[in-house]
Amino acid sequence: MHLHLTAEDAAFQQQMREFFTTQVPQDLRQRWAAGGEPSADDMRQAQRILNEAGLAVPHWPVEWGGKEWSQLQRHIYLQEMQDASVPPPLAFNANMVGPVIAAFGSQELKERFLPPTANLDIWWCQGFSEPNAGSDLASLRTSAVLEGDEWVVNGQKTWTTLGQHADWIFALVRTEPDAPKKQMGISFLLIDMKSPGVTVRPIQLIDGGHEVNEVFFENVRVPADQLVGERGQGWTYAKFLLGNERVGVAPVGSIKRRLADAKSYAAATRDGNGSLLDQPLVAARIAELESQVAALELTVLRVAGNSKEGKPDPVSSILKLRGSQLQQDVLELIADIAGPASLEWKRGDDSETEAWAALATPTYLNFRKASIYGGSNEVQRSVIASAILGLKG
Amino acid sequence: MDFTFDDEQKALRDAVRDLAGRHTPASSGGDVPVGPGKHDAAAWSAIADMGLLGLAFGEDVGGAGASAVELSLAATELGRGRLVTAYADAMVAAELINRAGTAEQKAAFLPDLLDGSSLIVPALAEPGRAWSLAAYDVTAEGEGDSVVLTGTKEPVPYADVATHLVVTARAGDRTGVYLVADPQVSGARVHFDATPAIQLGSLDDAPAAIEAAVNLGILAVVSEALGAMDAALPMTVEYLKTRKQFGVPLAAFQTLTQRAADMYVSLELARSTVLFTAMALADDPLDSAAASRAKVQVGQSGRHIGQEAIQLHGGIGMTAEYAVGHYTARLTAIEHTFGDTRWHLARLSASLRDYEQVEVLRPA
Repeated sequence: MHLHLTAEDAAFQQQMREFFTTQVPQDLRQRWAAGGEPSADDMRQAQRILNEAGLAVPHWPVEWGGKEWSQLQRHIYLQEMQDASVPPPLAFNANMVGPVIAAFGSQELKERFLPPTANLDIWWCQGFSEPNAGSDLASLRTSAVLEGDEWVVNGQKTWTTLGQHADWIFALVRTEPDAPKKQMGISFLLIDMKSPGVTVRPIQLIDGGHEVNEVFFENVRVPADQLVGERGQGWTYAKFLLGNERVGVAPVGSIKRRLADAKSYAAATRDGNGSLLDQPLVAARIAELESQVAALELTVLRVAGNSKEGKPDPVSSILKLRGSQLQQDVLELIADIAGPASLEWKRGDDSETEAWAALATPTYLNFRKASIYGGSNEVQRSVIASAILGLKG
Repeated sequence: MDFTFDDEQKALRDAVRDLAGRHTPASSGGDVPVGPGKHDAAAWSAIADMGLLGLAFGEDVGGAGASAVELSLAATELGRGRLVTAYADAMVAAELINRAGTAEQKAAFLPDLLDGSSLIVPALAEPGRAWSLAAYDVTAEGEGDSVVLTGTKEPVPYADVATHLVVTARAGDRTGVYLVADPQVSGARVHFDATPAIQLGSLDDAPAAIEAAVNLGILAVVSEALGAMDAALPMTVEYLKTRKQFGVPLAAFQTLTQRAADMYVSLELARSTVLFTAMALADDPLDSAAASRAKVQVGQSGRHIGQEAIQLHGGIGMTAEYAVGHYTARLTAIEHTFGDTRWHLARLSASLRDYEQVEVLRPA
């Protein structure tokens, strides 16, 4: 057991800190830190700066821009990025479709898609969920029928995050409707969003924002060579995609950043002759959250040490479950610190309310999603119960 | 940063696990002790003989020259084996003597404590008073060889079998550390009536010594708690798999398995925190923030796991002869030892302005 970082890892930490705080423009980072709806241009710019420095896709194969970092270094990279409020590389590109194409795609698909995916020249969105197939993903119904050298796709996807900015969608489609189990006969297809027959319709959420969409496919024709890997193996690839994040699955750096912000918000909010940070109930809640976040971060570090490369690790369910809970708890705290100022939502030009306070409630509401997406917390508990504790329901 | 045990540490863990297994109080049939721990002389001499009392102390004072990490590892196994002993208390007393005492005082008392020939425990709590590192109602008068203590300490675990006590007492407006031989004990109550005592070191050194000693005691009890939780969860899981109700195993009910999953999360968060705290205190015995965070996390995990272990077992979990209740009783006692969750949150709250974020990644 060792407490301290090695000299090499400490130097790595310094290097990352310096890069993120000097090479990514401060105004961009400030906009990201303020929250609210993310700017697509800022996300593109940030990812390109990272990619140029070889830091956009560190967990890809080296051949395609990856770094052979340890899990600890990967944690440090994420931690420093999030602490500096740098928009992370678009998850759909960097963490989802990229690794799947790199692992299962043909050489031709890799050459065609991986460089623009790393550079966010292609903005990907995820076509997994359907109106009747959310957590029960395997019951999806969008179909793809082979006609000559084209797949003809029909159906509907939903909860398509940032789909309004997307150039391409990676979709799970049913290619073998007669397969004996519903997990079988699903394929992983890459579809150009500009194809005739693709329609995107926004879904407004409870925070008033437009973050997710419905995507409709009506006789959309997709070249056959845009199917990744083997026909009928889409379920395997989807499980790979959902399971290959371990270190990044709990956004510890951004939770810590927000909690540090919460502390400064409390110190700046007047209460009687002092501030909210002098209020014992507020202070105790912050101290409690700091302890809980530290326990989560230590668990991330401990689990990272036992990594099983490339395989979904059920332990990552702990990180997803606890990470989403703490993320929500911190945002709830910020909304509570804002108090009456949180009623404003959108500030007028001469408003004296701070931006963070005005955004506190919509942000709190927006992040109720964290315990639903990527496998709801109930799904994570089921994974822990069955895969770790051996409790088969 | 590395959380894995080396071979020597694993060997120590296995040896202590064996020892604890041999001395575990019977959990079925016969007399099952309930309530606060009673001193088990055989278990205690086995602990002393294996050298577990000296793990965290230097060879110059009769210790084994290992570290707080090894102490934590040993205490975890005592907790897993349901050995309720004076281990944590003796560690606090030893560290008080080690840090507050003069060279002569250390030589006079520490080697005997660490090899088990004497049993010295701390007397810290005062009746009718919440937990505090300072003494209020027990006072010290006089100086040097003619110090006397007056007042009451209660509860003082293991006072009835202790050869000596290390007592915190108020000297003027400060708290000092004193050693008393052959104390007047009635149950867990110790009364001093102009009782002769030896002042350990100086009043200037006492506060840091008390803080470091209690931190070490905290590490010992949170480690014990980790062992208890680490045993209570698999017992509960096994019960869910085997116990049938309505014709099916309890594990068929998702409402129960999801709660077991939450217990697992609580356990792993506690494990990470305890291992980290062991490393942090080995590095800096005065890292009280790390000690407090461990106490908060283990307090919350322990309460959660203990309560759920009983609930998921149903009625059998309430019985004295079934071990799961003993783990929960021990976890409850530990939460109220050396400051409870509230006390530690208050201590952490007081320093919130001193740093921006809690940093667990530390450069060498």
